[in-house]
Amino acid sequence: MSRGSGGGYDRHITIFSPEGRLYQVEYAFKAVKAAGVTSIGVRGKDSVCVVTQKKVPDKLLDQTSVTLLFPITKYLGLLATGITADARALVQQARNEAAEFRFRYGYEMPVDVLARWIADKSQVYTQHAYMRPLGVVAMILGIDEEKGPQLFKCDPAGHFFGHKATSAGGKEQEAINFLEKKMKNDPEFTYEETVQTAISALQSVLQEDFKASEIEVGVVRKEDQVFKVLSTDEIDEHLTAISERD
Amino acid sequence: MGDSQYSFSLTTFSPSGKLVQIEHALTAVGSGQTSLGIKASNGVVIATEKKLPSILVDEASVQKIQTLTPNIGVVYSGMGPDSRVLVRKSRKQAEQYYRLYKEPIPVTQLVRETATVMQEFTQSGGVRPFGVSLLVAGYDDKGPQLYQVDPSGSYFSWKASAMGKNVSNAKTFLEKRYTEEMELDDAVHTAILTLKEGFEGQISGKNIEIGMIGNDRIFKVLSPSEVEDYLQEAE
Repeated sequence: MSRGSGGGYDRHITIFSPEGRLYQVEYAFKAVKAAGVTSIGVRGKDSVCVVTQKKVPDKLLDQTSVTLLFPITKYLGLLATGITADARALVQQARNEAAEFRFRYGYEMPVDVLARWIADKSQVYTQHAYMRPLGVVAMILGIDEEKGPQLFKCDPAGHFFGHKATSAGGKEQEAINFLEKKMKNDPEFTYEETVQTAISALQSVLQEDFKASEIEVGVVRKEDQVFKVLSTDEIDEHLTAISERD
Repeated sequence: MGDSQYSFSLTTFSPSGKLVQIEHALTAVGSGQTSLGIKASNGVVIATEKKLPSILVDEASVQKIQTLTPNIGVVYSGMGPDSRVLVRKSRKQAEQYYRLYKEPIPVTQLVRETATVMQEFTQSGGVRPFGVSLLVAGYDDKGPQLYQVDPSGSYFSWKASAMGKNVSNAKTFLEKRYTEEMELDDAVHTAILTLKEGFEGQISGKNIEIGMIGNDRIFKVLSPSEVEDYLQEAE
């Protein structure tokens, strides 16, 4: 067996390439971009908001079943960008883990603990040959008891960071440039500002105005702690507010 | 470890007798952010660059220097996710040692066990080596100690060492500045100056991390403001 010197296998399974890179992990990132959907997350003073495009590929599909925004527990939400099937598998495991945590320790799983668990699982897939990395970037949002609103992003390489604002998917870099300008002086956004920043970032990057049915919006707010997916009417209100503001 | 379909080692000898996967792992380490450690006469200091991918990242959520036991700390260069696995395993091994012997684990023992884990991943089926090198700093009955562990699982005790991107310049700098009688505060200043050598951009308390342990045998990671104080003294 001619393994160990790359021999072409460094592209098939997660072993090191001669430059010290993991090609399978890099390809997983490409899969996230190729999904053609961009997502944005913004953290405000007492709320977090995530927005993603809702691309329904066929008119015959039941739109309510097309979603990338999943509640993990009552208080934690997860926005998946990338391969939908991988996202569902990840969400299922995350829900199980969060429920077990609550049972075992008697309190709700904090945001950063869930993010770390997902990231550690992703790391295992980058080191063991028998499982490929998942083609999903996950944004986790929730209100932490001590630290307040939290937004974490976990990627196929196993990295995870807390973010003031972030993006994932096809137009990730453009969105991050847009958000860096907005967040430069550490503004403390109110709930409305948080949601509107997220939505207008997506609009600006994709250069189109949305209808409420074309995007999904998820929020957590300090005042009620619960993860909520906004209804089309609520999204409409925000869209109107943005267009009136401009 | 791993599925039966992959119960053969992925790290195998090349015709020239080299383990190429380990060499590639070392390349991955060499492209990681610079980190270094210095053993002083009365303590050890470890430090690293903390360059984050964007200003949008909440730097308070990231800590590269980790505590393994109250008197042992570790920093890495290379792939962050891999380092988390090793930190977790090391912490567990330290606890298991304490449960068995009712004594805190000596630094050499913990280093040896961590290195063993890293070596296993170069020989077991279906896994790749870790893409990190670790600098372990501790203070036990044998005094202050600094160890470097590589992806191959080999480890050495160092008076001062560096890893990652700027390793050759950093090591040359350290060789010139190191003295055996150096005290902990001097070591911290030297560490800062060494990091400054290869640093791109403006160094501050927010884009480096410093951990130290002294005669009190408590490993602590300095807060950004404490780092700023040392930075100003080193000016």
